[in-house]
Parts: sequence; structure tokens; C-alpha cells
Amino acid sequence: MPKKKKSQDDEFEEWKKSKQLLKPKDQLELADWEMKEPHARILLTHNPLKPDGLVEWSFAEGSFIPLHPPSNYVVALDIKGTLMHRLSPEGLAQLAGDTGLPAEDEEEKEEVEVEEGEQKLEEGEPKPAEVPAEAKPEDEEGEKGEEGAEGGEEGQPAEAAPPAEAEAKGDAEDDEEGKPSKPKKLTNQFNYSDRAAQTYNLPTRSQETQTIPPPKENFSSNVLQWIIYDDYLTDYNRQQAELELERLAREAQKAPITKHAPPPPKKSGGRAQLSEAVQARVAQCWKTLERMINQNINDEINKDYKYWDDPSDQYREEEGTLLPLWKFTYEKTRKHSVTDLQWSPWYYDLVAASLGYFDHMKPLDTGYLCLYSLKNPSYPEYICQTQSAVMTVDNHPDHPYMIVIGLYDGNTIVYNIQASCKTPAYKSDEVTQKHRGIVWDVTWRPDLPDGELNYYSIGADGNVNHWILLQTEMSVTTIITLCMDKEPLRGPDGTQVILKSTPSCIKFHPSNRDVFLVGTEEGLIYKCSTSYSATYLFTYRAHSLAVYRMDYNYFNSNIFVSGSADWRVKIWEDNRHEPLYVFDLGAFVGDVKWAPYSSTVLAAGTIDGKLSVFDLNISKYKPICIQAVVSKKKNKLTRIRFNQRFPIILVGDEKGMITALKLSPNLRVPCKPPKKMQHLDQTTLQIMKLDKLLSVVREPVVLERPPDPAASQATTK
Amino acid sequence: MSNEVEDTLKRIQSHKGVVGTIIVNAEGIPIKSTLDNTTTVQYAGLISQLADKARSVVRDLDPANDLTFLRIRSKKHEVMVAPDKEFILIVIQNPVD
Repeated sequence: MPKKKKSQDDEFEEWKKSKQLLKPKDQLELADWEMKEPHARILLTHNPLKPDGLVEWSFAEGSFIPLHPPSNYVVALDIKGTLMHRLSPEGLAQLAGDTGLPAEDEEEKEEVEVEEGEQKLEEGEPKPAEVPAEAKPEDEEGEKGEEGAEGGEEGQPAEAAPPAEAEAKGDAEDDEEGKPSKPKKLTNQFNYSDRAAQTYNLPTRSQETQTIPPPKENFSSNVLQWIIYDDYLTDYNRQQAELELERLAREAQKAPITKHAPPPPKKSGGRAQLSEAVQARVAQCWKTLERMINQNINDEINKDYKYWDDPSDQYREEEGTLLPLWKFTYEKTRKHSVTDLQWSPWYYDLVAASLGYFDHMKPLDTGYLCLYSLKNPSYPEYICQTQSAVMTVDNHPDHPYMIVIGLYDGNTIVYNIQASCKTPAYKSDEVTQKHRGIVWDVTWRPDLPDGELNYYSIGADGNVNHWILLQTEMSVTTIITLCMDKEPLRGPDGTQVILKSTPSCIKFHPSNRDVFLVGTEEGLIYKCSTSYSATYLFTYRAHSLAVYRMDYNYFNSNIFVSGSADWRVKIWEDNRHEPLYVFDLGAFVGDVKWAPYSSTVLAAGTIDGKLSVFDLNISKYKPICIQAVVSKKKNKLTRIRFNQRFPIILVGDEKGMITALKLSPNLRVPCKPPKKMQHLDQTTLQIMKLDKLLSVVREPVVLERPPDPAASQATTK
Repeated sequence: MSNEVEDTLKRIQSHKGVVGTIIVNAEGIPIKSTLDNTTTVQYAGLISQLADKARSVVRDLDPANDLTFLRIRSKKHEVMVAPDKEFILIVIQNPVD
């Protein structure tokens, strides 16, 4: 016990300690001596709380009458004990077993066991309530004084009263009966107290107020996956922009203060830029729509070009036909001649055409470079207008947007059609750089080691020029001046005039980067090298009139073909004076080209509007197809060009029109591999086919002079 | 730029079989047309709804994708629609003229 008490004390102490720390803020600060100062307390007999002079209004008398002063007796606590002296009359009565039950009850209960005493007691309790009159007056007398002293605490004494009454009553009954019966065991009797207090009830009050209702709006929308995606994307972009701004702000803080603050980003142009972007989109959409319309219009042609093969070819042994497909025209170039055609190296459907004139008696003061797409034959995709007739065009093989053209007035112009069709990217200088004559041919060359673009041009002044595109300008070098191997003419005043050839076409060797062929209006073909500016590697006395076009074979770079104004097409082997084949076509040969898909097929266009297709493998003497493509009377055929991917050939004429033709299956027979060499691919077979042909033609020449080992080696390759 | 667009538009109208062209703005209101009023309004309203729905289909399948063109081939006509965020271009062509 003491231990437990101690621990309790400790707990108490702890509690006190923590309690002591809390002080009200306004507590008086007292010194120690003040704390220790004793304060005397005096107890008086006089009750200061007792009121005196209490009066009561009497309605009977109509005046106040004084009441008796309340007594000094104050009941602070009144608990009736349950213990009693055993020798006192109550004690004796209890010992005697009298529980104060009425007699009639007792008779019934006699049979009942002793344990049921409790019940009896409970039953007995209500009984005193029936006879309150006996006890109550006495209590009320006593209570009157208490009420005066205690005020509101009416309830407690009143509640405490009943047990007392019961006791009292029991006693009285005991006395009345006076006959103690056999002793009964007393049951425990609990004292209980009940207190009730009533406080003032707070009156309930309800208050209501009404505000203006917020405006209502009906909203409905679909949420789809892509809407959420778009919102996320906008949010992401906004976050990125914020980060960027923060970064810029940080950089601005770090950077040393400069005199000139960077100009704030332009905001005024936003709307204009936006509308410009929309305009561009509109233009793009119209362009596509136009293509669709053309696709609908030319529906049959579009299918033919891909899928239709002339079925009659099966029944004709060695002849083919040409199926006309689209016709490309542009209103403003109706009077121009197609002076050159060039497929885009990247887009199989895009063709560049230069429009100028060949008839020097009818000069035109404008020229055009038009890029047509097979998807829209009605209008060129790109149009570049120039001050002078355009005589030649070439697409850069690696940068298809770079296009060089040669003009009638001797200038060469490079367009970057991706950037602008209106203004040239580069233009040769009118005074110092340009050719003193018509530029007859231009050709791009592979980029220089430093990555600069470069091209060659030939002009009627006899020069072969090499142009290098620098940052903003072009630099030019004359590689070779073509001089005739004739004695210089004597001038009137003793000067000597060196006669120059007029080159009309240039063709670079496909594999040897330095070597190129130049055809001239005198009918000669010079084999030159960019390394030697004074001498020719070889001179072919090819034609008696101007050589218009030459072309290297796609499969054997020692073989080339030339077409000339002397009506002839000749096939040459490298370093051989005599041609291997000669064909007479009966009209000016405007253009001649090898087919890209076969080593033995070539096409030649003559000025009388006919296109002749030869297959040397089938016939060495006559073309396998002659077809009039353009009207003979009004028009002249100028240039032709094979497509690299599809069996289509383009034909340009003097009215500015380009006709696309499809070659029938007989004109493009693939090689069948021999039974023992099934594994060989088409390229090898084509080379073999040509070699076989050539070996037949070469024989008489071999008899005349020993073969060139180097040449034969290259041939077999 | 706008000159170029005008030229293209003129050219398109001169093409074979082209019945009419309509330019519709983002709200579905026709702003330029070569057809009569009733037809134009009808086309503009219906096609813009269809284009919206078609775009929704394409974008729901893949949110990174988008509708660029719409061709409706009917027995009589082909309606070609170029939908954009801010405009819709409609060309009606009679392909078997």
C-alpha cells in the first residue's frame, strides 16, 4: 500500500509540476516575503449571507407582512447512514427480522425462501409513498429553513427525503406491531441519490438569408481521346515555353550588362504571320484538290500509265508502239520551244523543262523554267520566268531543289526552287562572267571536297566553264577553249584570229569524273579532260553537221550515241574513230537517248515529229518503232527523255508542249537468262547482251589494228 | 500568295467537269462559292459536319494522326473536301462528263 501511495504521489507531483508551469499572463508577481505573509481568517457566528427583513405580500391584508428570519442552521450535506446501534430500538427491530412489511404481505411471503428478501424490500418501498402525510409535514418544516439558505437547490433535500421516510415509516410500523418475529437475514440496502438540475433553455432562433443565385448555363460536350491528347499537348507546349522563358531570364541575369539591350521579340507580326500560314495551307490544299480533279479527268490515262500494256504486241514479233499519255502545257509558253527536259533525280513524277527558242528568226524576249508533275499535267508545279530564253536545264542529283539553267544571252542562273521561284539563288555576272554566246548545255557535277556545289557550262563562244557556288556568289574558271585545229586566220592588220569551235552539247563520262565529251556545231566530238586545258584526249570526226545531243550507255560507259543535224544517229566506242552503228533517219535528229532499262535500246527524236526506237538486239538496220508524235506540218519535235523508273518517254516540241508516251512491252523486252546462268541478274545480262553485239561489230576493226588491252578490259567490266 | 491562290481557284473552276467550289470558314459558314445559295448552304452545313466526324474518327484511332483530305464518290459527283482547322475547301466535280 505505501508503495502504491508513493507512486500515486509521484504521479500527482508530476502532474502538479507540469501544471505549475502554466500561469495566467496577468498573474501578480509576488515576492517571496509577500508569498509567505500570513493572512488571518476569522470565523464569525453571524451569517453574512443571511438576509434580514424578509417580507411577503399578503393579498388578504393588502400589505407586506414580515416573515420570520431564517434560521442560522445550514445543511451543507445530509447523508443518512444505514448503520444503527444494535441496542437501539431500530437495531433491535431489525435483529428481530422485522422489515417493516405490511402484515398481509408477510402471510404470502412466509413460504417464500429467505433469499427473496430483496424483492420484498423493493416491493415494500413504494408503500411509504402511500402514506406521505405522516412524515412529510415534519420534513417540510425542516426544509423550509434549508430552502431559504440554499436558494435554488431545492431538489436535493426533497430527493433525499424518501429513504428517510421509509426508515421512519418502517420504524413506526415496527413499533406498531411490536411483535418481533423470527430473525431474518438482512439484505443489503443501497442508499442512492439522484440529483437533477434544470438550466435555462437557450431560446432557438432561426435566421435565413437569400443571395442572388449564380448565373446558370447549360454545357454539353464530348470528350474524346484526341481532345484530351490535344489539351495535354497544349499544356506541354506551354510548359516548354515557360521553361524557355525562365532559361532566357537566367541567361539575361548572368550575362554582363551590355549597352544595347536585345530587342524585345516582335509580337505585332503574330496575326499577319498566322494569316500567312493559313494562306500557305489554303494554297497547299488547293494544289492537292487540283491534283485530285486532274486525277478524275485523266482517270483512264492514270490507269493506262501503270497497268495497260498493248495486247497487240503479243502478235507482232519485233515491233512496238507508243501510247500517248499526258500532255503538259502552260498557257504562257505556247510559243516557246522545249529546249531541254530533265527528270528530277528524287521525284519520279517531277520533270523540269526549259522553254526557249531554236528559230533565231523569231526571237522571244522571255524564257521559262517549268517543273511539271505527272499528277497535274494542266499546270506546272513551279514556274521561273527569265529575261531571256532558257536553252538548257539540269537538276542537281543530290539536291533536287537546285536547278541550273543556261540562257540565250549567255548567262547561267541557279534556282533554289525550294526557297523561291521568283528570284534566282545565283546568277552569273552580266559583264565579267557570262558566256559570249548562247549557253547550249549545263551539267551539275558531284560536290567538291569542301562540299561546294559546282557545274559546267558550254557556250557558243567555245568555252567550257566550271562554276563553283560560294556563299553568295559564283566563281568561274574556263576549263578549256575549244579551238579548231586549223591555221589561224590572218586579220586585215596582221593580227591572227584563232578559229573556235562552237560546242553544242557536253556529256561527262559516267564513271571517270574528269573525262567529258563535247559535241560541236562543226560535227566533231572532242573527248577532253578537266585536267588538260590545251589538248583533246581524242577527236571524233563524227558528223558533217552539228552534233545536237550525245548520251552514254547506262550499262557500258565506253559506248555512246550521238545525234546530228546530218540526219544520222551514230553509236561510238571509246577511242575508236569509226562508229559501230550508223542509222539514217531522214531528218534532223534533235535528240537521242539510251534507254535506262536496256543496254541495246535507244530512242531518237527527229525534227519531223517522229520518235524512233531502236533495239540493236532485234534489228541492226531499222527502228522497231517509228511513231509520229507531233504534227509534222505545224510543229517540230525538239527533245526527248526517258523516265528512270517507268517505261515512259517524254517528248518536247516547238509549241511548248510536252507529251508523255508509254513504251509498249515489245520496246522493253527484258533479257532472258540462258539456262545455265539462271542466277544472273538483269544488269549483268544486259551488259552481256551488249558485249555480244559489239563483238560482232568490232571484228573488221580488230583485223586492221591490234586491240587496246585497256579498252577491252574496261569493256569486259 | 493570295494571288497565287486566286489563280489556282480560277484554274480549278475552268477544269473539266468541275461543278462548283465552296470555301467554308471554321464556323461552317460559306464565305465563297460558285454555286447557288441554297446548294451552297446545304453543302457547307453537311460537309462540315461530315468532315468533323471524319476527323474525329481518324484522331480517335490515333491522336497523333490527322485528317487531310476526304473524297466522296457518288453516282453523280465526286465531292472533294480539304478540311483544315480554319477552313474547309469543297470541290464538286462531275467526273464522267
